[in-house]
Amino acid sequence: MFGAKHILPKGNPPLESAYDAVLIGGGLHNLATAWFLAKEHNMNRVAVLEKNYIGYGGAGRNTAIVRANQRTQKNIPLYKEALDLWPVLTRELDFNLMFYNCGNLNLLHSEAAVKAARTNIATAKFLGVESHLLDAAETAKRVPALNLSQKITHPIHGAMYHPPGGIVRHDAVVWGLAKGAAEKGVHIHQQTEALGIATKNGRVTGVKTPAGTIYTPRVLVSAGGYTAGLLYHMLKIKMPISVLTIQAMVTQPLKPLLDHVVSSGAYHVYANQTLKGEIATGAHMDPWPNYTTQTTAGYIKHQAEALVELMPCLAGVKFMRSWAGLADMTPDMAPIMDGNDPVEGVYMNCGWGYFGFKSCSATGRYMARFLATGKCPDRLKPFALARFKNHRLMGETAALVNYTPDN
Amino acid sequence: MSLLIHCPICGRRNGYEFRYGGEDKGAYPAGRSLTPEAWYEYVHANTCSAGVVAEWWCHRHGCGLWFTIFRDTRTNRQVLEHGGRS
Amino acid sequence: MKRLTSLPTLRVDVGRPVPFVYKNQTGRGFKGDTIATALYAAGVRIFSRSLKYHRPRGLFSLDGESSNTMMTVNGVPNVRTETTLLAEGAMIRDQNAIFTARNDLLGFMDRLDRFMPAGFYYETMHKPASLWPVAAKMVRKAAGLGRIAPDFRFSGACDEMYPAADLCVIGGGPAGMEAALAAADQGLRVILLEARPWLGGSFDYRERGSGEDAPLYRQAADLASRVSTRAAIRVFTRTAMVGGYSDNLVTAVTEGGPDDPFDYRYLEMRPRAVVVATGSRERPLIFENNERPGVMLPDCALRLARTYGILAGREAVFSVGHDLGLEAALDLSELGLPVRAVADVRTKGHDPALVRGLADRRIPFYPGWAAAAVEGKKGVKSVRLASCDGGQYRILTCDLLAAAAGHTPAVEPLSLFCGPLAYDGQTGYFLPRTYPAGVFAAGRIYGLEAPQNIRISGRVAGLDAAAFCGADCRGAADAHRNELAALPMGRPASKWVAFPGPWRKHFVDFDEDVTGKHIRQAVGRGFGVPELIKRFTAAGTGPGQGGISGHNLPLLVAAIKNPSRDRTDIHGTVPAPTTVRPPLRPVFLAAYAGSGREMVKRTPVHDAQAWEGAVFRRVGVWHRARYFSADLDVSEEVDNVRTNVGMLDASTLGCFRIFGPDALSALQRVYAGDMSKIKDGRVKYAAMCNHDGCVIDDGVVIRIGENDYMFTTSTGRAGETVEWIRYHTRFDNWDFHLVNQTDGTGVINLAGPRARDVLERVTDADVSNQAFSFGCWKDFSLSGGIPVRCLRLGFVGELSFELNIPASYMQAAWDMLRKAGSGFGLRPFGVEAQNILRLEKGHVILGQESEQRTNLLDLNMGFLFSRDKDIRPVGADALLQAEKDAGRLTLVGIRMTDSSCVPPDGSILVDDQVVDPVIGYVGTIRKSRALDAVVGMALVERAWTAEGTRLAVYDGGGEPSERHDATVVRMPFYDPEGIRMRM
Ligand SMILES: Cc1cc2nc3c(=O)[nH]c(=O)nc-3n(C[C@H](O)[C@H](O)[C@H](O)COP(=O)(O)OP(=O)(O)OC[C@H]3O[C@@H](n4cnc5c(N)ncnc54)[C@H](O)[C@@H]3O)c2cc1C
Ligand SMILES: [Zn+2]
Repeated sequence: MFGAKHILPKGNPPLESAYDAVLIGGGLHNLATAWFLAKEHNMNRVAVLEKNYIGYGGAGRNTAIVRANQRTQKNIPLYKEALDLWPVLTRELDFNLMFYNCGNLNLLHSEAAVKAARTNIATAKFLGVESHLLDAAETAKRVPALNLSQKITHPIHGAMYHPPGGIVRHDAVVWGLAKGAAEKGVHIHQQTEALGIATKNGRVTGVKTPAGTIYTPRVLVSAGGYTAGLLYHMLKIKMPISVLTIQAMVTQPLKPLLDHVVSSGAYHVYANQTLKGEIATGAHMDPWPNYTTQTTAGYIKHQAEALVELMPCLAGVKFMRSWAGLADMTPDMAPIMDGNDPVEGVYMNCGWGYFGFKSCSATGRYMARFLATGKCPDRLKPFALARFKNHRLMGETAALVNYTPDN
Repeated sequence: MSLLIHCPICGRRNGYEFRYGGEDKGAYPAGRSLTPEAWYEYVHANTCSAGVVAEWWCHRHGCGLWFTIFRDTRTNRQVLEHGGRS
Repeated sequence: MKRLTSLPTLRVDVGRPVPFVYKNQTGRGFKGDTIATALYAAGVRIFSRSLKYHRPRGLFSLDGESSNTMMTVNGVPNVRTETTLLAEGAMIRDQNAIFTARNDLLGFMDRLDRFMPAGFYYETMHKPASLWPVAAKMVRKAAGLGRIAPDFRFSGACDEMYPAADLCVIGGGPAGMEAALAAADQGLRVILLEARPWLGGSFDYRERGSGEDAPLYRQAADLASRVSTRAAIRVFTRTAMVGGYSDNLVTAVTEGGPDDPFDYRYLEMRPRAVVVATGSRERPLIFENNERPGVMLPDCALRLARTYGILAGREAVFSVGHDLGLEAALDLSELGLPVRAVADVRTKGHDPALVRGLADRRIPFYPGWAAAAVEGKKGVKSVRLASCDGGQYRILTCDLLAAAAGHTPAVEPLSLFCGPLAYDGQTGYFLPRTYPAGVFAAGRIYGLEAPQNIRISGRVAGLDAAAFCGADCRGAADAHRNELAALPMGRPASKWVAFPGPWRKHFVDFDEDVTGKHIRQAVGRGFGVPELIKRFTAAGTGPGQGGISGHNLPLLVAAIKNPSRDRTDIHGTVPAPTTVRPPLRPVFLAAYAGSGREMVKRTPVHDAQAWEGAVFRRVGVWHRARYFSADLDVSEEVDNVRTNVGMLDASTLGCFRIFGPDALSALQRVYAGDMSKIKDGRVKYAAMCNHDGCVIDDGVVIRIGENDYMFTTSTGRAGETVEWIRYHTRFDNWDFHLVNQTDGTGVINLAGPRARDVLERVTDADVSNQAFSFGCWKDFSLSGGIPVRCLRLGFVGELSFELNIPASYMQAAWDMLRKAGSGFGLRPFGVEAQNILRLEKGHVILGQESEQRTNLLDLNMGFLFSRDKDIRPVGADALLQAEKDAGRLTLVGIRMTDSSCVPPDGSILVDDQVVDPVIGYVGTIRKSRALDAVVGMALVERAWTAEGTRLAVYDGGGEPSERHDATVVRMPFYDPEGIRMRM
């Protein structure tokens, strides 16, 4: 019943001198891309280079929330496809990704928030994604722990309820994709840092590693929060990205209390109960760039203040562990997926901020198609880097975002 | 992580008193109007360096001054220049 | 159970009984007991059932390193009974068992471990696909310790404190106390944090120490009294450090004692230097059934006796790897605990005095032996000791096995400051690789064992810290350092890992029921480093956060990966342990939240409006009157403004003054329009954009003197305007002063056809249309001498006077106007009515009609943009570049075909004929009584902006096919010529 199959390759495969494609970063997006390259495009001379171990970055640090109720019609279909892929991948990878379809509740604390939610709901439903508006009483029925008092800082007006969402076990996705890709011949090189990208006449020729240069006609840089820095230092491509630290934490495990993913923009928190019973919660980002992946004293306190007001019973629960990862934020809260511009054969996939887990399956599939054909799939076209220079922000956020001085 | 910033007027203070103001890209380019590329370069493009960067900060909950510092984004510590620690 | 009552080290007051209730039975402990010690004394041995296998669990240590003794106390789940003082009348229940922890119906789970290998969820339960959703629900129910009711309310009081100090010493043992004293001698202000209720650390409950004159507990008491009487040292007991961050930021939580006015207190401080002197714990020994109730750390058994007067068993066996273990065995034997045997994995290097002591008491001593297994289901019945080479064994009956493999430093606080740890072959400890400036360590955490060494190392650290803070004591520090170097080092504890075997019931982590077998499986599946094994097996992710498993996990990994090596010599192959993260021990959210101080601002006429029945809502930091009507239907408020006169409190709008030689230049930079064209006595409407050309604010600007201007901003922007203007002029070296006058300025908007009638009754100034026409401003006084600056604006589309009044006069002005207006039908109105009024006029509210990406031109506000100013305004380039783009959303007015249909704000506009079918967004839409129509504003794609274009509105309520018809119409809807506001 339990054969001692490997999940992660034990040790590294031999580093070959040439690959059809080299993917920099051993996170979700590249592992998914590698899997789809091998599975749908028969491209298996593919190397994934990972500086630490796979899942070291955001892939292993996120809070695993998945949903498809984005704001605009360019984004929703991508996330919907991603959501629909969890059961498919579970089957194809023969690995339990533990999709827990508990639904998401986005709390609304003002008329403005209700209005914004209406737009999301209408757009989602119009595009075939289930989403509803709940009033305060209906919301409290779903989450009895919520504080319905009018006396709190941000009284609850209602919620946007999105039944198809939930949580997926993030580690399982990393390991399942790695296992699947490796079984199809993809080489996953852990503890192997990409040091540079070699180009000639505006074309990529290879990737520099401590073990020498690997020759390849295609490189995908998709190293989570590290991507923007790598693109600049390797190719002098400057990205419209701010790399911030995002934190999360869990309480001690409890018997079932929260049946949905609950989030609140006004309080700057989200919370859900993991299968283990911990209340996993997070959201805060210190608004200045840094790569420390360290937590802060101010945040854990803020988080407690917010949660205790929002769900007073949690005052009697204890925080147990906190951690942090990188979030590469773009000005319009939408990712950047592009390729062959300005360097032929260099592809990029980044700017996923704190929502790059939920999308990774579909993105990996499209990026694989992009790499294999050299042609950008229609679905990805709106996400090109040039949109910033062309003043075409995507409108994923209705409100002004606040981490650059520019608003 | 914590952040301490040395304000030229108020001295070493808790980082939460300050507001980040972006990488130091110099003054807005002179000339009548910019090309979209030049505009993008100034307004949105960042180096995102993992290392020492020059950047703007405002002592929002203090004297209100805007000033530049060097900070190492790997440690979150202000440094004297591209090199030593302050 | 009878307690030992005459020990000098006792910390319970046996004269002061404290009653409690445990599972509906009353019991009794004593003042000074923790809940766990009181229960243990009362005979409780099984405190809980384990998470996965429902194995019985008991008292193992006394500082809360595992979930073994977590219980529900007074309705609060997961209370660490080992560290929580027993309070009168405590209601105690055990957790995670069906029935009781003693007789748990789920106890059979223990036999199912074969079906639950490491990470088994990942590879099972997904076939067939319908299985997992069902299984997940069951997993959820089974997981989790303790239950919290959704209506639970925390009753304790929580406090916060931000003390200042030069030095924070963490750990009030001998090393910490010496450090505090040495630093205080050098003039430092010192804070000393100690998690236990008393100072003394490991000296507090120890008698002997080789070569010492005074008993250790007495040395501790001496030090404690010196520390406590030093004014420069502030001692916080019952205060556990929970967080450490860069630049010496320390957070801690105090559990209030009976005399404290709080139950929990959060502390945060940033001392210049930190000394970590948190000592060491015992490293759990890994063997079969190593977590049966009745197995505990030797130190735990010793402290039960010496601190609480409790002999932990009737007959004991010891299996140790360190001198303190031998000392505990000897000491407990002297206190009356029959010790059947003592095994020590070390073959040599024992303290000879202790070995002699054992011999004197005829206790069989087995050097080079260790416990291999324990028999017994709900408690220890017998122990199997074996020689480390596996050649011999012996089975001994007993009910207590005191077992540890050696020491593990309590290095977690240090690691928070110092970052990653690395294996130190000398001590067998994981220690920091580097120390940041101002962070020092002392005592047993370094591997020091001899009491003398511990104390001197404390002095060294205290003096180093003082020198770091500027005291002139480097010489003294070095002298002590040399003294320490000359003393003999302590005898090293063992680095023993475990007997070879599959390790099926050898528990590495108690909280998550992780065994050595699981670790082996994880390594076998390719998870090579502790960080990944932690994720795969969950080891170290439970409430104890690696308190039990932290040290052993990397050792096991090394042993598994190097099976041929001698199990005590895997040095060089040991991987780094998992990262330590705050909080170091679980902390109630209530304790972190503290008193909670969310800020809210009220306008100067808040009370006056409340008295008139205003319903308020939060707008940014402010509370604003939303409406004065019975409910959200504010049509009467609206009608009153259109027909009589209303007054609105607009004090939250930003109000600024800018003056100085370059004031105009600064305004030119941030405003899109040309501010040099402002005419004296006239008001200029103006907008600010960001670099994207997107509108971030609008307001009015007036020139009040030579190089002197006043301008207003929206409520939300007021807080950021000064830094915005300074940011965008930072390279210019311009000379201007900028003052935020928002809080000092109240604003009343008097609006409606009778507004002038009201105003004339309270001022002698000429406010006739001839003397004071639309778009002008004027300073004058209201009767009684209240100075006002009055602007004639038309946001709501009627004759209106915007009165800017010093905040201190607002109440008087409000009352005066209210009285003067009584004959004219004056009524206050709120922002809800204002919203309809301005909508009828086609005036936008930023953020309501606009999105982040909406630029000035998209809003048809090109008239606010001057293309040829000398100073290029922020956003100009983007506006010029985007102007040619036909693919942008543009603001239009819409009217519903069916005037009884009012779709909600935020509805979308759709067209199935195009590739991207969502073609626009409705900002605001309302039923207008003045127009007898439903009108609104929306952003739509250019192709749908022509007047008369038919639009389909989808509101997200029903099916996507359910649309409402609307038409693009010209704006403003109401009084398009603007006659009414010019009256
Ligand atoms: C605390 C937190 C909570 C989050 N919660 C959610 C959530 O609930 N839902 C959601 O959708 N998203 C969430 N996210 C976001 C999501 O985790 C990220 O967007 C996503 O993981 C990033 O993509 P990735 O996995 O491909 O990259 P990462 O996992 O970040 O991978 C980057 C990898 O690149 C490696 N690398 C870096 N430099 C090099 C180099 N030079 N050579 C080789 N390798 C290199 C790194 O070691 C790292 O392993 C969260 C993120 C964080 C930090
Ligand atoms: Zn300052």
